[in-house]
Amino acid sequence: MTHEPFDTEAAAYALGALEGEQLARFETHLAEGCARCLAALREAGDMAVVLAADAAPAVPPTAVREALLRRVAAEASPARRQAESARWWTSWATAAAAAVLVAALGGLFVQGRYEPRLAALGRETAALKEELERQARALGQRQADAAIAQMLRDPATRVLTLRGAGPIPTAEARLLWQQEAGGWLVVTNLPPAGAGNAYELWTISGGRPTPAGVFNVDASGRATHRVEPVAQAVDVFAVTVEPEAGVAAPTGPIVLASR
Amino acid sequence: MAEAGADLIRRMAARDGAAFASFYDRYSPLAYGLILRIVGDRTDAADVLQEVFWEAWQAAASYDPARGTPEAWVVIRARARAIDRVRALRRRSRTFVEPVDEVSSDAAADPSGDVAERAVARTTVGSALGALPEAQREVIELAYWQGLTQTEIAERLKQPLGTVKTRMRLGLERLRAIVGGQGA
Repeated sequence: MTHEPFDTEAAAYALGALEGEQLARFETHLAEGCARCLAALREAGDMAVVLAADAAPAVPPTAVREALLRRVAAEASPARRQAESARWWTSWATAAAAAVLVAALGGLFVQGRYEPRLAALGRETAALKEELERQARALGQRQADAAIAQMLRDPATRVLTLRGAGPIPTAEARLLWQQEAGGWLVVTNLPPAGAGNAYELWTISGGRPTPAGVFNVDASGRATHRVEPVAQAVDVFAVTVEPEAGVAAPTGPIVLASR
Repeated sequence: MAEAGADLIRRMAARDGAAFASFYDRYSPLAYGLILRIVGDRTDAADVLQEVFWEAWQAAASYDPARGTPEAWVVIRARARAIDRVRALRRRSRTFVEPVDEVSSDAAADPSGDVAERAVARTTVGSALGALPEAQREVIELAYWQGLTQTEIAERLKQPLGTVKTRMRLGLERLRAIVGGQGA
């Protein structure tokens, strides 16, 4: 295709003098990105400006400017407001998302930093509690031992032996007893009562059992149990297996009994 | 200056009303002078001016710096709309003045034609066009100020189309040399 026709057509095109098939052909040619014709078009545009200088510039009526700015504002403002609103929302959403992220990371950070420490403190606390309970038990045991030693020095104290009965023949217990002051039951070789169960001591007077407290044994099968004084003379002391909360009248088998 | 104009058009494409106000203030005197010269009537010229700048606002996104300067963009648009207006006025006056006899209608019988003729007559001697041979200047002026196509110019001047095309091309080449010389 020869380029010749397009050189003049760029100028004619710039002046709007092209029409019909000529115009369509040249626009297609421009759309194909012909650098030479684009240059020619720019030149023609510059000439159009030069030719326009033939007419003296004139100050347009202010009404035109006002009318245009009104129309433009009506179209520009909502779009800009929308854009600004969108920008604001985007930045707000970004900030909110960032805040959530920071909070999440902060939480993780705090958790990550302090969780081991908290766990350690928890373990320490549990150990201390256990130690305290152990010492409390030990103290209780020492107080019980002291009370028992006191009772052993007292000539008024009776020492009763309770033997294993029924299912646990090897079990044995001593009861230090004073009718007016009560006493202490010291148990050996008694196996744990089992889940949900405990041992319950009974004072039997005239054939009627009265509850005298619930106790459990330690891992070595020992127990020291305080027994409160009772009004009537006791004929027999007996221990049964009962629910751990204790019951008013014996229901389980007798494991220990005096006499 | 041209770059600043292009920036304004870019901002207009982004619906920036302030950019449009600056754009209007910069280019409206040039456009209005041109439109007034072609249309001849201040009221019509003001209408056309508003039309041109409204179009510029709407078409800002399609402005392509590769195809010309912002000034050229405005001038070409202003000229095209002014010529549209003149043609519309010409058709209307023809309808009222000479509704039947279209064959006899010529520039002398056409009030709008008078305007166009006066516009051509007003071309100053000192302008770039004044430096062209009469035959070349004539076709360019008819195309530029009256918006006649090459075919219409050929009919008007009773010259072959090829002759009109040649005169226009030679005239424009000469103008380009003058404009290029001014630019250098």
